[in-house]
Amino acid sequence: MKLLLQLKYSLLKVIDLSGLTFLAPIVRLCYGEEPKVQLQKIGQWVLVPIVGIIAFLLLWHITSGQIQTKSGTLPNPIETWQGYNAIDTQAVRENEKMQSYELVGEERAAMLADAEARLVGVKTRVTDTNAAVAEAKDAVDSKIKGLIEPLDTKYQALKAEYKVAATARKDQLIADADSLEAGNVAVYNAYLGKVKAAELQTLAEKEELSVLKKEIDKLRDTKASEVAKALRMQTFAAEEEQFLNKQIELLSDRNKAVQVESASGKISEYSTEFVSLAGKDAYNKARSIAKAEQRLVKMEASSYAKPATIWYQVRRSIFCVFTGFLIGTAIAVPIGILCGLNSTFMAAMTPFIAIFKPVSPIVWLPIALIIVSGLIPDPDNNPLMQFLWDLPLIGEYKINPAFIASAVTVALCSLWATLANTALGVASIDKDHMNVARVLKLGFFARLFKIVIPSALPLIFAGLRISLGVGWMVLIAAELLSSSEGIGKFVWDQFNNGASDSLAKMMVVVFLVGIIGLILDRIMIVFQRMVTFDGAVSV
Amino acid sequence: MDDILQINNASVSFGPPSNRTDVLKDLQLNVKENEFVAVIGFSGAGKSTLMNMLSGLQQPSTGEVLFKGQPIKAPGPDLGIMFQNYSLLPWLSVLDNVKLAIHAVEPRISKSDCDEKAHHYVKMVKLDHAFDKKPQELSGGMRQRASLARTLSLDPEVLLLDEPLSALDALTRSELQDQILNIWETDKRTVVMITNDVDEAVLMADRIVPLTMGPAATLAEEFEVNMARPRDRHTLNDHPEFMRLKSEITQFMMGLNKESKNLAADIIPMPKVQPKNFAPPVMAPTFKQNPVSRKGSNNVA
Repeated sequence: MKLLLQLKYSLLKVIDLSGLTFLAPIVRLCYGEEPKVQLQKIGQWVLVPIVGIIAFLLLWHITSGQIQTKSGTLPNPIETWQGYNAIDTQAVRENEKMQSYELVGEERAAMLADAEARLVGVKTRVTDTNAAVAEAKDAVDSKIKGLIEPLDTKYQALKAEYKVAATARKDQLIADADSLEAGNVAVYNAYLGKVKAAELQTLAEKEELSVLKKEIDKLRDTKASEVAKALRMQTFAAEEEQFLNKQIELLSDRNKAVQVESASGKISEYSTEFVSLAGKDAYNKARSIAKAEQRLVKMEASSYAKPATIWYQVRRSIFCVFTGFLIGTAIAVPIGILCGLNSTFMAAMTPFIAIFKPVSPIVWLPIALIIVSGLIPDPDNNPLMQFLWDLPLIGEYKINPAFIASAVTVALCSLWATLANTALGVASIDKDHMNVARVLKLGFFARLFKIVIPSALPLIFAGLRISLGVGWMVLIAAELLSSSEGIGKFVWDQFNNGASDSLAKMMVVVFLVGIIGLILDRIMIVFQRMVTFDGAVSV
Repeated sequence: MDDILQINNASVSFGPPSNRTDVLKDLQLNVKENEFVAVIGFSGAGKSTLMNMLSGLQQPSTGEVLFKGQPIKAPGPDLGIMFQNYSLLPWLSVLDNVKLAIHAVEPRISKSDCDEKAHHYVKMVKLDHAFDKKPQELSGGMRQRASLARTLSLDPEVLLLDEPLSALDALTRSELQDQILNIWETDKRTVVMITNDVDEAVLMADRIVPLTMGPAATLAEEFEVNMARPRDRHTLNDHPEFMRLKSEITQFMMGLNKESKNLAADIIPMPKVQPKNFAPPVMAPTFKQNPVSRKGSNNVA
């Protein structure tokens, strides 16, 4: 019982520390503490937001159908969810492919059999969906044809009629012109009026025809939802078929172990032939063996060239934002402390801070890219890059100049909040605490580390929290421009891709970026709370 | 060198040269070694400025302040000041606050010695049950005691107490008074204490120096407290010397108040509305009316 109570208080403490205060009434309710009050709080802090989210989704669903974009209507929540599934499926499949490439022995055989069995099922699905698409298209086509036909006949009839009328008018006017009385201005003016009227008539007829034509075109272009649905199913099936074919390939011919085996078989074959040869043939065979051995070594070290999946991009983005954030912090905190300690230094720095603070990431990024690319012209043969690629945890993320430029841009855009807050925190240190330092005759560094920094820490962390938020926003834009592998690049790829579900995938990114940003902010709140010694932190 | 602390004609003024305000003017004070001196004055008279000057946090504009015959140039651990508003570092626990001070005085002290010493001082002020608490979690009286422990841990030659007890309730106050007296008596050192409580001053000090009303406050003629120690607070109210001193000092202070009010009226032309004087007509008779028959009652003054 006592343990349970202790659990309650530690749970509540964690909730308070993390700022997830909406969970507190749920925990209290579980312990039966004032159920009425807790239910009221749950209603306020849990149910109301849920109702809000549902209302938002409904509104989104209803309005999205009305909004025409360059690629169809705005995706509704369901389509966005399907977009998420498509992104996730791609990531899962890429992982499976990589796994397939590395598999050996019985596992490989088992997986191969499984994939082949799945392929059979998928193939029937492909034919089914193809038929369904054709059927749906036919149905829609005949329906549309029925709608278009009367319009089209009307259009053709009118067109012929107007053509005849126009020729008749023209002939009549030319005939009229023969009998014009030379020098009589009034007669000539009357004739001019007739010609003008005839031209207007022709124009109006043309306009009428084009309106009709547009109506017909619109009908022809209508995308029926049944066809779209059938097409989506067809795409799913086709994608899965393609994936399975590729997987089977990676499990059989292109499997690493299989390739290595065949290569080594070839080498031993060559070797046996080699000992029976002489002269130029022997030389050529020896060369072939040497080359084949070289290839074998490379093959053994190779791995599946996996394209970046969304989760890899998310991880790389988070890694990049923290790299930039750390660079920014390493610059901002010391300068901020100096600014806070010394008003002369502050006066010297103020113009630079004022000028550089409002500069947009879009400006910093190209500059950073050019400088970093200049410093690292050939990343594949750069010792620093090689060193970073060989590091255990971060080697996976292949730090390249685009990554460094993005991180530097994040640093340059995010450091200002930390700088300003650190300077403020240090400058506004309690005079009494400084008096304590004077009485204790603390030296500069003791004063700095024992009085100044601890006292400024809450404000420094408030600044860091803002910086990380800004950095995360900046990073997505920076990746988009620098093509550094990450969430920003994913958006850019989707934008350029222009597939039917690209827009939905971009909408998924909106939520993905938002949720990650929220989590980063929460983490910073926890840190901020841990260093704050007086009062609460605003959430 | 008999006098450990000496103030010679010191003045403190603030503001630009064209509009200078004297806060303290022509101060004269000698404090002997191991003496307990109380400075008594009204709020805003410049008591804290005086204390800052004695501790070296504030330099006199004119005149000099001597510690063992040498002018005080900068604050240091020898002149252990205990601040009016505790000034504990809020991110450190009580023990760490004390340890910081010990480390500052003896940078080379070993970890265990430092620990032991810190515990000793925390115990001395009876705060050992809360040694790991942050100042935020302590009551006012406990913070004051923690602050005292930190000051004592500096092992200062002169203890400068800046209204150490003014923010406390009556019960905590008397408890802490006893503690300070106890520490002073067992571990003799020079103490200069600032207070606004006449009873407290008479109870604790050897000598009481009134500070006149500001601006341009100065130290008035001192009162010698010739009462044997230890002084018993329960019987003190009936002690003739206590009664005499208390009435004399109170009268003197009330006189100062009136005088300064007259003075203030001269400087700032006030509207015709006269502030109501809430002071009782004469303070002294109150004590004479105190029935002697209450001798036995445990009435804590």
